Amino acid sequence: MKNRLKVLRAERDWSQEELARQLGVSRQTINAIETEKYDPSLPLALKMGRLFQLCVEKIFELDEKKP
Amino acid sequence: MLTPILHRKRKAAEAAAQAIKAAGGTIEQTRRVYGTRLLIRGLLWASIYLLSRGLLELTIPSSAARVAIALLPTPFFVYYLWTWMKGVSEMDELERRIELEALGFAFPAAIVFLMTIGLLDLAITLNPDDWSLHHVWLMMPLFYYAGLWRAKKRYQ
Repeated sequence: MKNRLKVLRAERDWSQEELARQLGVSRQTINAIETEKYDPSLPLALKMGRLFQLCVEKIFELDEKKP
Repeated sequence: MLTPILHRKRKAAEAAAQAIKAAGGTIEQTRRVYGTRLLIRGLLWASIYLLSRGLLELTIPSSAARVAIALLPTPFFVYYLWTWMKGVSEMDELERRIELEALGFAFPAAIVFLMTIGLLDLAITLNPDDWSLHHVWLMMPLFYYAGLWRAKKRYQ
C-alpha cells in the first residue's frame, strides 16, 4: 500500500519519533510504514487520519500493481 | 494465598506501565523496562537451570530428590515466560507481528529439526551424549532468535 505519511510528516516538521509518540507506536513502526514495508492496522490508520485531520484515503492508497 | 500476591504484583506492574505512559514515556521506554526485566529473569532461570544440571551430575541416590532438582528450574522458566508475554502485550502492532513471524519460523523449524533427528536416530543411532533431549532443546531458542532476526530485517 502506498502512503503519503513522510510528506505529511515533513509538512508538519515532525520527526519520526514525534509522530510515533503521538500515535503510541515505536519509531521503527513509523519507518516501516513510510518505507512501505508494513501496512498499518485499520485502528492505527484511522488514528493517523485523525491526527492529520484527513480521511484515510488521503493518506493511504491501494497499490493496484500488487495482488 | 498465592492469588492475592499475584494480584498485587499484577496491579503493581500495571501501575508501573501506566506511570511510564503518564510521564509521557514512549513505547521504547516501556520496551526497555520489559527488556531489563526479561534479561534479569532470564539470567535467574539460566542460573537455576545450570545449578540443577550440576546437581543432577552428582550421585544423589534419592530419586525423589533428583525429581525435585529436575523440576526446580520450571517455575523460574514459567516466570520468565510470563514476563515475556507481558512484554508482548505492551508492544505495538509491528513488534507483535515480528514476534509472530519469529515464532512462525521457529515452530516449523523445530518440527523439521526434531523429525530429522528422529529419523537419523532410527537410521544410524545417534550418540545420546550429543543428540539427547538434554542438549537438543537448546536448538529451540536458537530457531526463535533466527526467526526474530529474519523478521526484524524484513521490516528495517
